[in-house]
Amino acid sequence: MLRPVLMARLALRNLRRQARRSALTAAAMVVGGALLMFSVSLGDGTHEDWIESGVRMGSGHIAIQAPRYQASRKIEDRLSSAARDAALGALDAAGVRQRVVQTVPRLAVGGLASSPNGARPAQVVGVDPTKEADFSILDDKVVEGRYLQPSDRLAAYIGAELARGLQLELGSRLVLTAQDAEGDIAGQLVRVVGIYRTGIPEVDQAIVHIPLRTAGSWLQTNDEVTTIALLLDRSRAVPGVLRALRHALSDEITASNTTVLGWREAMPELDAAVKVDDLGNYLFQGIMFGIIALAIVNTVLMSVLHRHREFGLLQALGFTPKQTGGLVVIESVVLTTLSGLTGIALGTFLTWLFFRNGLDISFTWNEDWSFSGVVLDPIIVPLFRSARIVQGLVFILIVGTLASLYPAYRATRIDVAEAMKFER
Amino acid sequence: MTATTTSVTDSAAVHTDAVWKIFEQEPADVAAVQGITITIEPSEFVAMAGPSGSGKTTLLNLIGGLTRPSRGHIWVAGRDLANMSNRALARMRLERIGFVFQAYNLLPVLTALENAEFPLLLLGVEEDERRHRVDELFDRTGLSGLEDRRPGKLSGGQQQRVAVIRAVASQPALVLADEPTANLDSQTSDGLLDMMEELNRELGTTFLFATHDPRVMERARRLIRLVDGAVASDERRRPEPQR
Repeated sequence: MLRPVLMARLALRNLRRQARRSALTAAAMVVGGALLMFSVSLGDGTHEDWIESGVRMGSGHIAIQAPRYQASRKIEDRLSSAARDAALGALDAAGVRQRVVQTVPRLAVGGLASSPNGARPAQVVGVDPTKEADFSILDDKVVEGRYLQPSDRLAAYIGAELARGLQLELGSRLVLTAQDAEGDIAGQLVRVVGIYRTGIPEVDQAIVHIPLRTAGSWLQTNDEVTTIALLLDRSRAVPGVLRALRHALSDEITASNTTVLGWREAMPELDAAVKVDDLGNYLFQGIMFGIIALAIVNTVLMSVLHRHREFGLLQALGFTPKQTGGLVVIESVVLTTLSGLTGIALGTFLTWLFFRNGLDISFTWNEDWSFSGVVLDPIIVPLFRSARIVQGLVFILIVGTLASLYPAYRATRIDVAEAMKFER
Repeated sequence: MTATTTSVTDSAAVHTDAVWKIFEQEPADVAAVQGITITIEPSEFVAMAGPSGSGKTTLLNLIGGLTRPSRGHIWVAGRDLANMSNRALARMRLERIGFVFQAYNLLPVLTALENAEFPLLLLGVEEDERRHRVDELFDRTGLSGLEDRRPGKLSGGQQQRVAVIRAVASQPALVLADEPTANLDSQTSDGLLDMMEELNRELGTTFLFATHDPRVMERARRLIRLVDGAVASDERRRPEPQR
């Protein structure tokens, strides 16, 4: 077997000898690697922002609910007191506690909000004011008044669109009507203490926060809730925490008392949006690297044709055709790895240098952008992940190897006698 | 194959049996080698001479396994090249055959020493053994002190001597030299031929030249003249040296 060290030495020296050609190929890969890291970091940062916004506006990174609640959204599909206690107990399980930043209980019910000026459908959510303020970003969106406080009883925090529709102001009275735990229609009088605007029409028109105690007594659920929402320190921890929680709650899950949902299951629209955006990024990167690969094929092929005699000589001296092709692949892989690493380092550095405080793209829009319950932040903060560097390098290696295959094949097909002909 | 033929193919350094090489081209195919049968014994110092187009280089390439015959068989060190895969041919060239080319053909990215020991590297010979063999040949050929120079920093004669060292360093059974002196002045040519004769005498390496050079023909102990792809004459000039 041919000595790998000899192959590597030959490859490196050939690359150095063909400095201009090597530099051209390397430049394409450096630019590609830099753009790859740049776009991936921004993409990951954007998605993390979407997820952060989505989970804070919605049911957290992880939601513990009764099995049918996700589909029915009905109060009868709530967690029992025993299931709630079991769920809270499971939060002490290994791999869970250190990742959970906040836990909020919620009692949500679909109903009607009415004032002397009309009625509108509403999603009434009973919340723990202190915990909810840490968890949700809804309290940050206040435009009038304030968010709920622990001492509040008959208070409501409503969206600006609902306030406009029902002509409500701070201090206005509002009647909430919904089906209670007994199946009866029950009403609750509350007073507006705060008005918010998220920019998401479906939220601003419908979501009403009231104190959890008030909701429990109005709907006769006592301390039972529909959702226990968990906020984790980072979205990438979700799969691990999900596994740990499902293991800890396996008895409750088997008994159909509880289900544990990750944000992807609880918010399928957001999941789809992230996937579609990822697909778009991958397509862009695929096209970019396709073009880079063609440039590499071209330069490596030119190199093979130019070094016809050298490859003929190697075979005359004892290289097999396969080893000759192998040398071409090694040269290409060495070059693409070195330049790819340089590109990745450059891309990471440039992204950090220019966008460490975020990339402000607010000049591209005039009003709030939102989708699927997510408020888009016009400042994108890139997210660096070491796994992305490894993935980028592997991707570049694959591109470099694939791009060298045809030139390598050509090197294996050299007619040695023809290549060694003396040219006068 | 008769018993006599078998004996010849086994014992000869090279044996060709009615070898043809036909190049297909327009408007008519060209038969560069036309049914040549020759036997070269071990330790011979043979020159093949003939005008351009007589088939010298083609026959050399056929014997070196660089190209395959259209018809006929070639045995090198007792092995029939016709039945070998490309991989086996490459191994055969590495282990049994050394090449010296008119254009020197050193690898430009390697130093003189690395070029000379290249076949030994491919054979996996340990570094100490490699250096021992190559240093000795550098001493004998007057190249000591030039080991670290790249080919571009060597004269034509020096490059060709490095090429000869590369050809003999692995102690092959056969060295094929295609116009090795064509690019050298007469003094350098004589020095190179002295060196090759000495290696032939001392190591018993078989040398087969394709040449136009009268100096090579003069020194050869056997001269095969080719005309139009066929053997026109085969003349043993002097007895083989006693070793």
